[in-house]
Amino acid sequence: MNAPDRFELFILGDGEKKVTWNLDTRVPNTAIFTFNKEDHTLGHLLSSRLHKYSYVQFSAYIIPHPLLPSFDLRVTTDGSVSPKDAIVQACRDIVGELDQLSREFTKEWELKKIANTESRN
Amino acid sequence: MDYDIPMDGEDTGPTVTIREASPAAVDFILRHVDLAFANSLRRVIMSEIPTMAIDLVEVKKNTSVLADEFICHRLGLIPLNSKSVDDVLYTRDCDCDQYCENCSVTLSLYARCTSDGVMRVFARDLVPQDPRANEWVGVPVIKDDNPDGALILKLTKGQEVEMKCIAKKGIAKEHAKWAPTAAVGFEYDPWNKLKHLDYWYEESAKDEWPVSRNGEWEDQPQEGEGVALDGQPGPFYVNVETVGGLEPDVIVQQGIKVLQQKLAGVIQELAGGDNQAETNGDGFGPRSPEGPSGGYDQGGYTTPFDQRGGASAWGGGGMTPYGATPYGQNGGNW
Ligand SMILES: [Zn+2]
Repeated sequence: MNAPDRFELFILGDGEKKVTWNLDTRVPNTAIFTFNKEDHTLGHLLSSRLHKYSYVQFSAYIIPHPLLPSFDLRVTTDGSVSPKDAIVQACRDIVGELDQLSREFTKEWELKKIANTESRN
Repeated sequence: MDYDIPMDGEDTGPTVTIREASPAAVDFILRHVDLAFANSLRRVIMSEIPTMAIDLVEVKKNTSVLADEFICHRLGLIPLNSKSVDDVLYTRDCDCDQYCENCSVTLSLYARCTSDGVMRVFARDLVPQDPRANEWVGVPVIKDDNPDGALILKLTKGQEVEMKCIAKKGIAKEHAKWAPTAAVGFEYDPWNKLKHLDYWYEESAKDEWPVSRNGEWEDQPQEGEGVALDGQPGPFYVNVETVGGLEPDVIVQQGIKVLQQKLAGVIQELAGGDNQAETNGDGFGPRSPEGPSGGYDQGGYTTPFDQRGGASAWGGGGMTPYGATPYGQNGGNW
């Protein structure tokens, strides 16, 4: 009856933005990013990737409520890079890695296909 | 901007070893990635790859023993071929009122039992109607030798069903019937050296929790060997089994693509067109906390990233590679 449409889990609402953010005034070089219509898939991926950069001093995410399809990502850097740029860099690096994964998988799949046809002959 | 190449000396990037491949499943080892990366790939394969499934059913006649909605539910779960499903629009992105040939495939089902005994109605009795977005989408998956496909219902003499089924594109986050895979096997550290698992047991954990086949790919821990406190999970043993609508390698590749589009959406949002003032590093400290909305225009100033953003490995040329979202042609919402 009053259940929300299930596509509201992943389709942005009218005028809703994928990412909004605010600086944390209490701590330097810190911002909290709200990702709308996203979940652990992106939250954990980004937050754990950020841990690997030396200029990132803190990153963690929280899903404020299990019924809300959003998460907050808090990032603190050492000041040499802004939190926003750190996230953008993380995204670019992961996209690059996924590209490499795609190539690796294709290569392996083709090899396996050849091996399979040979063993059948 | 300099930054560390991450991961303890592993600058090789992800590597894959396929152990087994068949039309139904692919079994591979994923190395040199962290747990978050491997798990995100798994999650995206489970729930965010678009496929086709019956979503609307017009019941014209049903004199079988099964209720209309019971049959409709079964129809929704029948795997349909989803090859090149990119050719099909999401209904919500389509211009039509309810559905049309650009955003759906119509399958008709008609069966009437005229003889004594039981008549079985199978997925093969679903007849896709033309026109369709391409020759593959919406065709029921039939893998058995008969060939019949999945059993939908049974009729006895005089019983009849007639239905018009509308198959649409969707993802499993909306309903599990759109899941491209029956299961994704996922394991790391088969010997539990990292002690991420705390086995429940009656007498002996060793006897009651046999090590999986993946244990043969790693050294057995020595007796009394301590836990590597800084040990990282990996390699990951992954097994992707299809329900038949997409080939297993296509599922993995689509998963990678969907994840990339997700990230591209974030890049576009954060680094895209409206340059914020704080991009040069030290400028963001003293500003008011209102975030992006408070940004002032610096007249064409771009970050070093913005040049790279256009034509990188995951997309086409200088045009926005983020245009085609996984949820339709218009990237506007992103
Ligand atoms: Zn349409």
